[in-house]
Amino acid sequence: MNTALSESVSEAALNFDVLPNGVEQFREAAKEFARNVVKPRVQELDQKPAAHFDWDLVGHGHRVGLTRAAIPKEYGGLGVGMLGVATALEEVAAVCPGTALIFGATLLGQAPVLLSGDPRLQARFLPLFSGDEPVLACNAVTEEDAGCDLIVPSQAEHARNVTTARRDGDEYVLTGRKRFITNAKVAAFASVFANMAGSPGATGLTSFIVPLDLPGVVRGPVADKMGYRACLGSELEFHDVRVPAEYMIGAEGEGMAINMAQSNMARAAVAGISTGVARSALEQAIAWCGERVQGGRHLKDQQFTAAKLAGMAAKVDAARLLYLRAADKVDNELPPPVYEPAAAKLFADRTAIDVAETALSLLGARGYLRSYGVEKMMRDALGTRIYEGTPEVLALAVTDSLYAEKDEW
Amino acid sequence: MSVFPSSEMAVKVFSSLFAVLLEDDDFVARARQEGLSVRLVHTKPDCEIFVAPQGLRIGEEQAGPAAITLRMSCDTAHALWMGQLMVPVAIATGRLRIRGKVAKVLELVPMLRPAFDRYPEIAAAAGIAA
Repeated sequence: MNTALSESVSEAALNFDVLPNGVEQFREAAKEFARNVVKPRVQELDQKPAAHFDWDLVGHGHRVGLTRAAIPKEYGGLGVGMLGVATALEEVAAVCPGTALIFGATLLGQAPVLLSGDPRLQARFLPLFSGDEPVLACNAVTEEDAGCDLIVPSQAEHARNVTTARRDGDEYVLTGRKRFITNAKVAAFASVFANMAGSPGATGLTSFIVPLDLPGVVRGPVADKMGYRACLGSELEFHDVRVPAEYMIGAEGEGMAINMAQSNMARAAVAGISTGVARSALEQAIAWCGERVQGGRHLKDQQFTAAKLAGMAAKVDAARLLYLRAADKVDNELPPPVYEPAAAKLFADRTAIDVAETALSLLGARGYLRSYGVEKMMRDALGTRIYEGTPEVLALAVTDSLYAEKDEW
Repeated sequence: MSVFPSSEMAVKVFSSLFAVLLEDDDFVARARQEGLSVRLVHTKPDCEIFVAPQGLRIGEEQAGPAAITLRMSCDTAHALWMGQLMVPVAIATGRLRIRGKVAKVLELVPMLRPAFDRYPEIAAAAGIAA
């Protein structure tokens, strides 16, 4: 190889083990938070009544920066991008994905403000997250009869959402009810998607930022979930809520595109959460199979078990590489890419379920006990595949990308 | 049909626009501090402009490596600067495509205010319809 070529190859070499400095520091801080603050409470958080919420825990996460990781530094954020968010959420999710989702849902609520490019809106809402007290946000898309059909543009006409907006002077009036909204019970504001009155389906979908202390906002009962019990999912009702027109993101009827951009941004981080669940289950399986002896040999030395461990490890690594690539692309492209985040989430969600299930199996009776925590991972893994796109919807997004014309650059 | 009849006209209007930014001391100071350089690739008609604190360069061969590259049609650019198309909508619908650190892009957008304010006047002076 000639010298010039050798140098250019060396410069272009990928390093999969070293994250950018600020991202690595933030990941380490999140890891310490997970180990020192979340881990001692994780069983209690899982077993408390559905409506229980640990603000003290959130306060610790806030001080680490988990509520403002993606916010630019000029508005008091950390500016570590989606790569920082995703790697940090992997660390938190490895201990408690429900806690990770509290911060992930906040990022999702912030995303339209970040995308707006509107300095007045950003100055109004983003500095909220850099005060002494923790502030959370949420994203309100899903309704009783509408969810994924608000994500797929070709289904917009047939969407059955009923939350509507109508213009009245300098305000929009929002009416309707959202369901399964993570953080709705505890958020300061919501990113809300409502259909312009008179537009069929979701063809008039429009994005708004709605402070949740406005008259007419009602936070509904908390859903009693199978997993993810550290975070609260609840209804959010809008009874003729008057929202200032300047809180609209973009333009009337452009909500579908905003929602897609927001989802594409967030999916890399959700894939990080799934990877955290899978990694944690793998670590438990490795520990157990390294100490348990059967027939005079450790489980890890028995070929059938070894094959399972090897498969689990390869899947966890692949999930991580996919989400790192997706997060890096999200940090360097606008509009956010469709394919990489969707493929990362699709794979990582399945990996979390498969690895947790295999770990549960390898631990035998212990896997079925609450005290070992693997059964919780199984329950949580089943939840991750629902929010920010089910496998079925992600498959559509991935497949559409396969047939889409490639962008010219 | 594009609102810009020729590449020359697009170059004239957009280079005047970015000259406005380079007259803005705050923009230049921030751009220098952030190491900000922007390559704007306009299509239909083609027009490429490189903006850095040191000045403007016109044409593909003049463009150096930029921290941020923006690609859009001249019609999209016109609608954006006129305030007829909102930035998030342009981005979300892919009419404006950007490569570069998104964090830098998010910082850049509010700094463009002087250009938004002046564009209608610059376009009108060049005979470009609203």
